Amino acid sequence: MLAVFLLLQAPITFAQESEGWTQFRGPYHSGISTENITDSQISDPAPELIWKKEIGCAFSEITLSGDKLYTTLSEKTDSLSGWEYMAAFDAKTGKEIWRNKIDSIFIDKDGFGDGPRSTPAIGENLIFSFSSYGKLTAHSKTDGKHLWQIDFIKEFGSTLPRWGFSSSPVLVDGVLIMEAGGTESRAFVAFDPNTGKLLWANGKGNASYCSPLVAEIEGQTQIIFANQKTLSSYNSKGETLWTYAMKMNAPTAMPTLFDSNKIFICTVRSSGFEIVEVKNNTVTEVLQAPTMKNDYSSTLYYEGHFYGFNVAALQCISAETGEKKWTKRGFGKGSLILVGDKLLVLSDKGLLAQIKADPTAYAEQRRFQAIEGKSWTAPSFVNGKIYLRNQTEMACYKFN
Amino acid sequence: MTKKIYQLVLFCFSLCLPNLLIAENVETIIAKHIEAHGGLEKWNKVETMKITGQFTAFSIEKDFMAWKTRSGEYYADLQLGQHRVIEAFDGKKGWTIDPWQEISYARRINTGEENVFAQKAEFTTPFFNYKEKGHQVEFIGKEKLEGLDVFVLNLTRSNGKTEKWYLDANTYLETKYESKWVDFASEMPSETFFDDFRSVDGLLIPFFVERTFWQRDRVMQIENIEINPTFDNTWLIMPKREEIKKLAFLEGKWDVKMETWSRRGTWREIGQTDSNIDFTATNILQEKIKFELTFPIDVTISYTFNETTGKYRISLLDDYTSSFEVFEGDFSGQDFVFDNSVEKKETYIQFTISNKTDKGFILTKKISHDQGKTWQKSDKFTYTRSE
Repeated sequence: MLAVFLLLQAPITFAQESEGWTQFRGPYHSGISTENITDSQISDPAPELIWKKEIGCAFSEITLSGDKLYTTLSEKTDSLSGWEYMAAFDAKTGKEIWRNKIDSIFIDKDGFGDGPRSTPAIGENLIFSFSSYGKLTAHSKTDGKHLWQIDFIKEFGSTLPRWGFSSSPVLVDGVLIMEAGGTESRAFVAFDPNTGKLLWANGKGNASYCSPLVAEIEGQTQIIFANQKTLSSYNSKGETLWTYAMKMNAPTAMPTLFDSNKIFICTVRSSGFEIVEVKNNTVTEVLQAPTMKNDYSSTLYYEGHFYGFNVAALQCISAETGEKKWTKRGFGKGSLILVGDKLLVLSDKGLLAQIKADPTAYAEQRRFQAIEGKSWTAPSFVNGKIYLRNQTEMACYKFN
Repeated sequence: MTKKIYQLVLFCFSLCLPNLLIAENVETIIAKHIEAHGGLEKWNKVETMKITGQFTAFSIEKDFMAWKTRSGEYYADLQLGQHRVIEAFDGKKGWTIDPWQEISYARRINTGEENVFAQKAEFTTPFFNYKEKGHQVEFIGKEKLEGLDVFVLNLTRSNGKTEKWYLDANTYLETKYESKWVDFASEMPSETFFDDFRSVDGLLIPFFVERTFWQRDRVMQIENIEINPTFDNTWLIMPKREEIKKLAFLEGKWDVKMETWSRRGTWREIGQTDSNIDFTATNILQEKIKFELTFPIDVTISYTFNETTGKYRISLLDDYTSSFEVFEGDFSGQDFVFDNSVEKKETYIQFTISNKTDKGFILTKKISHDQGKTWQKSDKFTYTRSE
């Protein structure tokens, strides 16, 4: 009887079965989990800490599939050298299962942080990592062994960006898509994930810090790149669907799809954000407003509103008008995801806040110091648990 | 007639009325603002202030210290990401050591930075004794700012730069201001937000100050404020770069004995003169020396340090021949050696400063006709301190 009761309760807590967090910004490339978490009171204790452990420096998000989590890390062998690794951990305990070298360590001369920037993508049997020096590697899911590796600098003539290659791989319709920033119209490339064979290359532009958005628009799968001043879309065969001259340059935050055919693009070094609408592969501007300027943290969309970091202020704005609904400071240049109707906001110093996604007012429900130190990586959420990492720590907390 | 005069006076008064009201409102608002901060009487007793706390840049939180004085002086020692930054300002001019700009030594600040340092030098807001400081304030009106009723004031600093201040209409405390800031010495707009007001000896001061400009986010979280600590004015003296400090022994007024290398292989005295070596700028040491052998010689020698090559660069301007030569060199043990090989001339000239004591040193000139493979002694100048 108790078992039946628990079974009945489970779907209320997790409205939908988890789809994992298999790529950068989650299953829908949107920073949104379709799970739910219950309301909380400010006075409630912090969620249960499942595990916390030290980890080598990287900016990768944590991706999860099954009972394992995957992320990258780095370790120095001396002050000037070391290695970048792809690693797998037991999601329940945080125990490392395997690690494999992917490249020499990228040491950031500005001191922002060493190691990989890109988030690995999880395929059926393989994991795909991208090093700061531009090496795309396919790893066996079971032991991390290399199946193939492609050096973008050698293969495509890509130029190393100042802060290292950062774009994350995406899997679309059985094809592995990357921003390569290569020469001779090889800015965007696609590979056979099993062999590493180049399937197509298209577009012009240098390697940026922005990851491609995969969207279903008007019944068509579109891979959308915001590179330099151009927003462009390709189908999974590499055919150009449309291009659009943005009124901004070099966004870092990933574009956000909403209303099935509208795209929000934003950069901190501009006069604000821009919304474009795609109809019959024709792109028109819908709105331009100064109320949101994302740096490296991407904005998410929920019920007619955007929630994101306007430089260093958490902000809610109307998706229709751009009107500012509320602003909350104190998170620094944080990051956020949405779980059900709750924003989970990680401050740039590791404080985690649960906030109801409500445009009428900032409604914080809980906050706690989740990890220590500079935290520039957005959380991941799977099966009622949040997975966090920064340059030194990785942790898992159980919600609900 | 009287009626017309009365009407005219009334008309003129009515024209002035809005301005009078506005002027009154500015003064009222500022008076209440100062009162909210603890009152003018208490603030007028503040001569110096030492602030310590945490400063966040690039999401890294580090200790910081800042000293301010009533006359607008400011000195700060803070960590900006991975680099330690020093800032100093005497109320008009200032300097900084900011390795982010790939300059490891103190440099003068530009006018945009002077405006920023002037803002940093304020105890809290610029409205205390603003007229004495030469600032002007204009009341813009009452607005809503993120749901809060605020009074908006335009401040024009004595340097002509403007700021827009938003004061909470209920508490009269500052909530935000917009001003020009700098990033890598370039001016850009900024927004500064205030929170966490706490009382320090009866003075109400915001302990949380967050500033955003361009893509930057800087947070200052004050932990302690000391009122009227000792302020050491020597902090404001721009320090010389370390390399130039090593040449400071040259500074002074000198009697100079001049000798030339004779065919007999001995030094022969050819005359006496005097020389004055002085810092014409923080990092430029300059010598002026005149003497007459056959012709009147008037030479200006500047000692600098070339960051690019990591060597000292010495320029020699000869007034008589209207020539300009460049030398480069470095310390070799106790001696300082420089030559003009950088100019790739047929004849190389090398100078060596040796025998350094508190009372003097010797400058020896050598010549090479084979690109420095062999050197021949030429002249010797013995410097003896004259005062």
